[in-house]
Amino acid sequence: MSTLLVAGGHVIDPKNGIDGVADVFVRDGKIAAVGKNLKEKADKKIDAKGLTVTPGLIDLHVHFREPGREDKETFETGSRSALAGGITAAVAMPNTSPIADNQTVVEFILKRSRDLGLINIYPTGAITKGQEGAMLSEINELKNSGAVAVTDDGHDVQKEGVLKRAMEYAKTCGILLMSHCETKDLTEDGVMHEGWISTQLGLPGSPALSEDMAVYKNILLAEKTGARLHLMHNSTAGAIRAIREAKKRGAKNVTAEVSVQHFALTDKECMGYNTNAKMYPPLRSQEHIDAIIAGIKDGTVDAFTTDHAPHIEPEKLKAFQDAAFGTVGLETSFAVMYTYLVKPKHISLKQGIEKMTSAPARIIGINKGHLSKGADADIAIFDTAKDWVVDEKKFFSKGKNSAFIGKKLRGKAVYTIVGGEVKYDRGTIIA
Amino acid sequence: MAVILSKKSPSAAEKDLNSIRKGRDLSFFDLVSIDQVTPEDLGLLYDVARRFREYKTYKFSFNKGSSQVNAFFEPSTRTSSSFDLAAKQLSMDTAGVSSNSSVEKGESYLDTVQTIDSYNVKTIVIRSKESGVPAVAARYTQASIINAGDGWHEHPTQALLDGLTMLDHCKSKDMKGRVVVIVGDIMHSRVFGSLVRLLKTLKAEVRISAPLTLIPEDVEKFGVKWYGKVEEALTGADVVYALRVQSERGANGFIPTLREYSKMFGISRKRLDLAKKDAILMHPGPVIRDIDVHSALAAVDEQSYILRQVENGMAVRKALLWLIVDRIDGKKKTFTRK
Repeated sequence: MSTLLVAGGHVIDPKNGIDGVADVFVRDGKIAAVGKNLKEKADKKIDAKGLTVTPGLIDLHVHFREPGREDKETFETGSRSALAGGITAAVAMPNTSPIADNQTVVEFILKRSRDLGLINIYPTGAITKGQEGAMLSEINELKNSGAVAVTDDGHDVQKEGVLKRAMEYAKTCGILLMSHCETKDLTEDGVMHEGWISTQLGLPGSPALSEDMAVYKNILLAEKTGARLHLMHNSTAGAIRAIREAKKRGAKNVTAEVSVQHFALTDKECMGYNTNAKMYPPLRSQEHIDAIIAGIKDGTVDAFTTDHAPHIEPEKLKAFQDAAFGTVGLETSFAVMYTYLVKPKHISLKQGIEKMTSAPARIIGINKGHLSKGADADIAIFDTAKDWVVDEKKFFSKGKNSAFIGKKLRGKAVYTIVGGEVKYDRGTIIA
Repeated sequence: MAVILSKKSPSAAEKDLNSIRKGRDLSFFDLVSIDQVTPEDLGLLYDVARRFREYKTYKFSFNKGSSQVNAFFEPSTRTSSSFDLAAKQLSMDTAGVSSNSSVEKGESYLDTVQTIDSYNVKTIVIRSKESGVPAVAARYTQASIINAGDGWHEHPTQALLDGLTMLDHCKSKDMKGRVVVIVGDIMHSRVFGSLVRLLKTLKAEVRISAPLTLIPEDVEKFGVKWYGKVEEALTGADVVYALRVQSERGANGFIPTLREYSKMFGISRKRLDLAKKDAILMHPGPVIRDIDVHSALAAVDEQSYILRQVENGMAVRKALLWLIVDRIDGKKKTFTRK
C-alpha cells in the first residue's frame, strides 16, 4: 500500500468545482481525499505550497509517429515530453506507418503504452482504409480493440457521401468521429494562411474558407446522422461561428477543440520563412484569433489540444514550400494557455484547466480529468509564476520544431503524477 | 602570407566611375528584397548605373580577384546571362550552378549554398522556384546573396532596372503624380512583388488589371487599385507594364484560354492609345507575342521600352555588383553556419 500527500497547493479541479488551497491524498494510485489540512500519514510528501495542483492534462491530439517514423518521435520520447508538460493522457492520431486502419496497430499502441508505463495513451483508428477517403475501415474492430475514436486526421474525408456513411457507421458502432476539416480543392498547394502575409512572402495560401466549408459540411452531416462528431484544431472565425450556431440549434453531438498555437500566434510568425511556423491548419491572422478567443469565452470551444507534430530537422530546413507541416507542443501547451489566455484575463485558470482535463475526458468518454475520490491519481503540479524562454534544445521530445522557440512563456510543470506515481520531478523523468 | 600585388593604376573610365560614386557605400550586404533598398541606395545605384551604361561593355578591373557563382535552380535566359556578363565586365571570375544539380539529388538548398560559399566567393546570385530561398541562404553565407528571383516573392534587380527605365523616361527622381498600370499574372509574379514595393517608394499611383483569379489576397495593402476593365486602368497612364501569363507556374486553369485572356487584357495598339501620348510600354520578358503584348508593339514600336529594360538591366547589375563587392568602408556582413 503506497501513499502520497500533495500538501498545501492551490487545487483546481473544475469537474468538482474545487478552486482553493487544499491537500490531495493518494492511496494505491487512486485519489483518496482532497481537503484542507489532511492528517493522513504518507510514504511520500510533495510540498506544493505556492504551486497549482490540477488533474493531469489530457491532450486529444498528438502525433507520436510510432509505428513508422521513430526517427521523429516514439511513444517513449513523446510520453516523456508529455510528462514534462504536465500531460498524463494523450490521444494518438492514426496517420502512422502503417496507418491505424486495423486492430493490429491499435493493439500495438496499447501494448507499447502499457509496457512503457509512463502516460496513458489512447489510440484512434482511421475512418477510411489507408486514410484514402474511399472505403471505410473496420470501425467496429477498431473500437473493440481499444480505439477511442476514428479520424482521418491529416487528410480529411473529402467526399460527402463517404463522410455521411462513415458517420452513420460510427454511430452504429457507438464510436466518436473526429474530423480534420479541410476542403482540399480550396487548399490546393497552400503552405500558410492566405492573406496579406502570404502575399508579401509570395507563398501559396490556404484560405480560411477551406476550413469553414469543411466544418459546415461536417456539422450538417452530424446533425443529420446523429453521429458523435468532434471537430479538431479549429482555427478560423468561420469555423467558430459555425460551431456556435450548431450548438445554439441544439446539436449536442458536436464538440470542438482548438490547438493552443491557434489562439496564441498569428501568420506573422511565418515572416522570414520560419518553417517552424508552418503547420496545418496554418497560423492565421489576428481577426481569427479574436474570434477563437470569443469562442473560448462563450463555451463554443470545448477543449485545448497541442496537435504535437514532431519532425526531424532536415524536414524543416527545406524551402518553406517544401518543409514539413507541424509544430511540437506537449512541453509548452500549459504555458501557452496560461500566457495567452489567463495572464491577459480572457479566462480564469479554472476555465483553462477545464478545457485541458475534464472536457477532453468527457469528449472521448474516459473517467479521468478530475480528482474525485477513487479516481485515477493522475495529477499535474504547475508553477504559474515561472517565466521561461522556450529553448528547443531542452525538449524531451525528439522534435525540436516548435513555433514557440524564443518566446517568453509563463507557467511550467513542476511535478507530474500518473496513477499515483511521480513520473516527472522538477526537470527529471522518473521511469 | 600571400603577397598581394598592388593594382595597376586606374583607367580614366575607372576614375570617372569613382568620381560619380563619391566614396558612397550601400546600406545592405545582401539583396534579397527591394525593401532593403533605401532612397539613398537607389540614388547611388542609379548614379553609377547610368554611367556604366555609357561605357557599354568596357571591362573594369574593380572586382578583379573576386568570384561569383550564379546559382540558377530554375531556368533563366536574360537574368543569368546579364548577371554573368555584368560580373565579367567587372573582371570577376564566374561559375554557374544549374537546376540540374545536387539539389535535385536530394541535397538541401542550405547545404548547396554553404558549399558554394566555401569557395570564398564574394557573391552568390540565386534564382529559385520556391519563395524565400535567397532570404534564408543569406543568413548562412559570408558571400553576399543576390536574389535573382525567388518563387512568387521578389526579383529585386528587375525592379531596380525597371525603376531606372521609368525614371529616365519621366526625367524625374521619383514617380510622384505618375500612373503605372501593371497588367497580367500578378499572383504568380515575383516581378510584381518587387516592382510594387519600389513604386511605393517612388510614390507612383499603381493600378493593376487582370482577372481576379490572378490577383493575390489583400493585394490592395500594397497601395494599389484593381481594375477589371483594362481600358479603364490604361486611361491616362504614364507607364504600361505587361506581365507574362506564366503557364509553367500552374497559372493555366486560372483563365479559360490564352485567347480569351489576350482579347480581354492583351496590350494592343488601340489599348495603348488610351494611355498618355508619351506613355511607355514595358515587359520583363520573356514576351509571349500576341498574348501579353501585340506583336507589332513588342520590340520595334517607339513606345516599347522592352529592349531598353534589358540594357538597363546590365547597367544596374554591374552597379550592384561593384558596390557590393568593392566596399569602401570595408564592412563585412555577419552570418552563422547551420
